[in-house]
Amino acid sequence: MASISFRNVTKRFGDTMALNDVSFDIEDNEFFCFFGPPLSGKSTILRIILGLDTPDSGEVLIDGKPVTHIGPAERNIAMVFQNLALFPHMTARENVIFPLVERKTAPAEIEAKLGDVAEKLHMSHILHKHPAQLSGGERQRVAIARALVRDPVAYLMDDPISALDARLREETRIELKRIQREVGHTLIYVTHDQEEAMSIADRMAILRDGQVQQIGTPIEIYDAPANTYVASMLGAPAINLFDVDAMSGVTKNGALDLNGVDLDGVERVGLRPEDGRLIGVDSGLRSTVSMVEPLGGATIVTLDPPEGGTPIRLMLRGQPTIEVGAGIAIEYTPSALMRFDANNERMGDTK
Amino acid sequence: MTSIHLDNIVKKFGDFTAIQTMNLEVRDGEFLALLGPSGCGKSTTMNIIAGMETPTHGTVKFGERDITHVPMQKRGVGFVFQNYAIFTHMSVYENLAYGLRMNGTPKAELDRKVQEIAEFLELTAILHRPSAGLSVNILQRLAIGRSAILEPSIFLLDEPLSNVDAAFRAVMRQELKQLQRNFKQTMVYVTHDQLEAMTMADRIAVMDHGVLQQVGTPIDVYNNPRNLFVAQFLGSPGMNLLPGALADRGGDMFVDLELGGSIALKGSDAQAGRAAKSRDVVCGFRPEAVQFDDAGVSLSVTFVERIGARTIVHMGKGAASVKAVFDNKVAVNVGDQTRIAPQDNAIRLFAAQSGESLQVA
Repeated sequence: MASISFRNVTKRFGDTMALNDVSFDIEDNEFFCFFGPPLSGKSTILRIILGLDTPDSGEVLIDGKPVTHIGPAERNIAMVFQNLALFPHMTARENVIFPLVERKTAPAEIEAKLGDVAEKLHMSHILHKHPAQLSGGERQRVAIARALVRDPVAYLMDDPISALDARLREETRIELKRIQREVGHTLIYVTHDQEEAMSIADRMAILRDGQVQQIGTPIEIYDAPANTYVASMLGAPAINLFDVDAMSGVTKNGALDLNGVDLDGVERVGLRPEDGRLIGVDSGLRSTVSMVEPLGGATIVTLDPPEGGTPIRLMLRGQPTIEVGAGIAIEYTPSALMRFDANNERMGDTK
Repeated sequence: MTSIHLDNIVKKFGDFTAIQTMNLEVRDGEFLALLGPSGCGKSTTMNIIAGMETPTHGTVKFGERDITHVPMQKRGVGFVFQNYAIFTHMSVYENLAYGLRMNGTPKAELDRKVQEIAEFLELTAILHRPSAGLSVNILQRLAIGRSAILEPSIFLLDEPLSNVDAAFRAVMRQELKQLQRNFKQTMVYVTHDQLEAMTMADRIAVMDHGVLQQVGTPIDVYNNPRNLFVAQFLGSPGMNLLPGALADRGGDMFVDLELGGSIALKGSDAQAGRAAKSRDVVCGFRPEAVQFDDAGVSLSVTFVERIGARTIVHMGKGAASVKAVFDNKVAVNVGDQTRIAPQDNAIRLFAAQSGESLQVA
């Protein structure tokens, strides 16, 4: 078990800056998530942690010791591959011990390690089965057992459940978190699904163009994003961002009344969909409902602002009755409004 | 504009029954989602409407006209698949124009229509680019445009968004809905994604194992699922379904839950309980209808997912688990002992044996 750190790691591939001065500290036993769009640097970070790529500059530390120029084999970090990649013709047991057999480990030791991992993962009863006979969660356990049987200092997962359907993903992510809690070990996890990242990560790093934008617990980042990019990456529907007209005290699209908000140096304001409400009173700032999407437990309402531009999306609890075409004003709790400066950085905590 | 009628449709492949005696009407100009897990028969149903499959029994009608044995190309339906079939050697323009050229549309009209649909689907800027090398997102948009340009009175889409990324899916959901509103086609949309079905469809038809389970508006199907399958399939997370036994204590009705504790039944729920043939029931309630209640069922918190605006709290006792959805301010931690109960009017009772709803209509 180990902590893993990057110190100012930079990596170029030709003209492409894959990682630009990346630093982070992943703590021992932590479930740490890297989250970002394609080509934001997630996979490069994994490859450098594994030792498959070497940084151009900067340092990689495992348990505080530099390993930048130590090869993959000596790092003892395990990878759980996307889609789990179990051998279909082997039993769960054969799949799990495969890495040990490959390394010609003594049979007695194999048995001991298998027993240990199987107990930790509560899977002794499925060892005789083939992957096809296992549920999704059980397959997950087999794949993780195969990674853990080598007794790695940490294990990595690269978007392991993206191929599953929505309901199964909801269940599997809980299962994964439970497994990680039970067996310990540092787990480094890559995903492009914001809901999944927020659900399972102890802490997460948000990446953009090879740079770390923010590191923190999901809730810290959601409530206090460093900038508009991070604010937009978490939350579905995404946060509404409004250009501010400081002179008139309303947003440029004419949708929000900013009376009472300190607008000094504020370029844009952001309002999460769940922080807005609809009121019928005639404040003059009427947006037009263009779409109502009932989700059952909540309802997403899309509005066209009075002065046009990007539609506004609000998420209301329950199943309110709202007609498409209705003209409605938007109300919000001032403390929920986020303020951003000309560099898109979030200003002073308004929460 | 045309309605679609499936009358007593059965479809067998050898010994396998893909569709069991199905009756369904898709109304003129309606957006209907065929929703179900893979293998439920939704794509087969779609293929029968399109004319790619012939039913073993039953008739398919468009309006009054029996088209059961009319070949696909003469049905005048538009079809978009999961795997967009785009001619990659052609430009975006040529792909959009293809169908119109095939049916000999005059050049001026063809050009006007291509410009129009390109504008609607935001393809104008790339009209003269080759299709090869376009992103999956854009290709799927192009596939939709190529079909829509022919203004078919019936538009069939089979999981058109399952290959595009999440952010783009949200955009396309809106565009498809808008497209259907503008052109007023009768639209049948096959999906396994309940979110797509809920947000876009006028009505949802839920299928499982070749059987049509329920048809209704999204909210109606969500609020009043006819059976356990529909109850657990819709919603994120799905409905809590707790086995228990009905009990009449001095005229007051309760469900004594297997996991311990009781839930009181009021009003029409109590009535439904009294009318039930068997005491064995499943008590259902949505995660967002859970509230803390000192007199409620005692459970310990096993897991807390804080996902932006929502907090999903998992509670359990033994193998039984209950999920609750709260806002992001709720103060709950793993290991907490809680007492919870469903909100008034949130209980849905099902017969344990048949899985059918006991709700009084």
